[in-house]
Amino acid sequence: MDATTRRAGPAHRALLLLLMVYLLLPLLATCIYAFAREWQTTLLPESWTLEWFRGMFRDLRFLESLWTSLYLCLIAVAISLLVMLPAVFVITTYMPRLESLMKGIVVLPYAVPGVVAAVGLIRAYSSGPLNISGTAYILLGAYFVVVLPYMYQGIRNSLLTVSAGPLLSAAELLGASRMRAFATVILPNIWPGVLVSALLSFSVLFGEFVLTNMLVGGQIQTIQVYLYRRMGESGHLASAIAITYFAFILILSALLMKLGQKVNGGMKR
Amino acid sequence: MSDYLELQGIRKRFGSANVLDDVNLQIREGELVTLLGPSGCGKSTLLRCIAGLADIDGGRILLDGKDIATLPPRSREIGMVFQAYALFPNLTVGQNIEYGLKMRGIDKTARRNRAEELLAVVQLTDKRDAYPQQLSGGQQQRVALARSLAVRPKVLLLDEPLSALDAQIRKNLRTEIRAIQRQFNMTTIFVSHDQEEAPALSDRVCLMNKGRIVQEGSPEAIYTKPRTEFVARFMGSYNVLSRTDAFKLFGKVDGAAQSFAIRPESVVLLKGRTDSPGSDRRIAEGMIRSVSILGNVIRYGVEAAGVRLTIDALNDGRSLPLAEQSPVLLALDESQLLHLEKEGA
Repeated sequence: MDATTRRAGPAHRALLLLLMVYLLLPLLATCIYAFAREWQTTLLPESWTLEWFRGMFRDLRFLESLWTSLYLCLIAVAISLLVMLPAVFVITTYMPRLESLMKGIVVLPYAVPGVVAAVGLIRAYSSGPLNISGTAYILLGAYFVVVLPYMYQGIRNSLLTVSAGPLLSAAELLGASRMRAFATVILPNIWPGVLVSALLSFSVLFGEFVLTNMLVGGQIQTIQVYLYRRMGESGHLASAIAITYFAFILILSALLMKLGQKVNGGMKR
Repeated sequence: MSDYLELQGIRKRFGSANVLDDVNLQIREGELVTLLGPSGCGKSTLLRCIAGLADIDGGRILLDGKDIATLPPRSREIGMVFQAYALFPNLTVGQNIEYGLKMRGIDKTARRNRAEELLAVVQLTDKRDAYPQQLSGGQQQRVALARSLAVRPKVLLLDEPLSALDAQIRKNLRTEIRAIQRQFNMTTIFVSHDQEEAPALSDRVCLMNKGRIVQEGSPEAIYTKPRTEFVARFMGSYNVLSRTDAFKLFGKVDGAAQSFAIRPESVVLLKGRTDSPGSDRRIAEGMIRSVSILGNVIRYGVEAAGVRLTIDALNDGRSLPLAEQSPVLLALDESQLLHLEKEGA
């Protein structure tokens, strides 16, 4: 076993290296480009500058769009938490028969391509009783649907992992009301898992472009829409934006992974 | 002593299936009754109905003279211990035990004292500040026991509390549960599917099958006098014989029963005609088909008069185990032949 591992080592490492190069090279190039002043005929730029970053941070629209993305995603995730947490809890604990229905609903966002969904949503909401096309409301609604699978799976798995049913029964028999039992013995135990799905949902929404651009691209500029607009103006600036955005997502992901480890560690016997 | 907990005509349906079908049971104060039965016989459902975790479709549950069937679980004054412990992982052992008292609004010092008291009872005083996942299975189950006793329930329900544990821990905890139950004079219902566990522990055993109690009585009575074929098969390795088989073996059969049972240890194997069988015994010729040594008992599979029998002989070293495929003589005692009633009678 050990011998084979050692023998396979270099090959594995080479493959891994190749993959890393494949994945990171464009990113590296983007990064260098974001810091380059003149980069025409040489392998590396002839001179460096922070001008593009300065320009980016000086551009009010960048900060605005970052802020827009941030709060829209936060609100969407918060709404999703508020609705899904009690819903999934009630369904898994008290109405297990509805689970198959939920599972069906939850895969729908995967089944419908973003463009199709966007066209359908615009048609449905551009007239009639609910004329919210082009507003933040339709975007929040769409975001809610997009993160539905992540939230559902995350909350459900957390509930199953802590075997919420017996815990709830035990608490009730010890004299707790259902609400109090939920608050004292279910919520504290599923919270880490729920937080991870919320963070995951957040980063998915933060990177969402197709739906956002089609639904509200003309009215609301999220960071993705802004990035798309600026791409045509200056490659350097777009690179700077992309790198900043990447760093942001990296921090978020690191946070997410750390939380995930904490959850798994807590479950170990 | 009068009945403390009384179940009258409990019915429960899941869809079209009758999970509980007219269950009647009376339990005296301080008694430990075991509900025994194969999985799916409704014993756990019955327990959940008593606790209020499942609704009943008919019948009454009287506890201390009061009908509790419509009360929510938290108002029933019933404690329950689950197979999977169901300790709260976010709380320490001490906090777990105090949980019920806290829900009842009892102040901190009193809670603390009561928890200490129970930790001493289950011998886990040094684990008060540990979290459940840091304890072994047996320790966790003892905490669960302490937690349900802390609120002084009127009835304690134990839902296969030992099933997830190793054999040795199981035995110890079984003895401990019985001792604690006696110490608190706690009216207790113990659910089990293990026909060896139940008699060792209980004052009374109720054997359940298909949502009904098919026989109840003292552990000895259930084991030595099974009323039906199901009980005979479930309680041990009884040989169950049809009327034809019994006739073949004994030459004559009294009564009108259609099936019979004979305990494997009540048939005696003789090596040759020279052994004296005793006056009232009937001798049959047979052939040993299988031999397995189960510690202090040797279990033979014997074919006699075309009937397969299981026969247990003491592995006392005086008689070497008989070989497979060797002829043997059986001494059968007709007084040991039990006449079984029809199922559902």
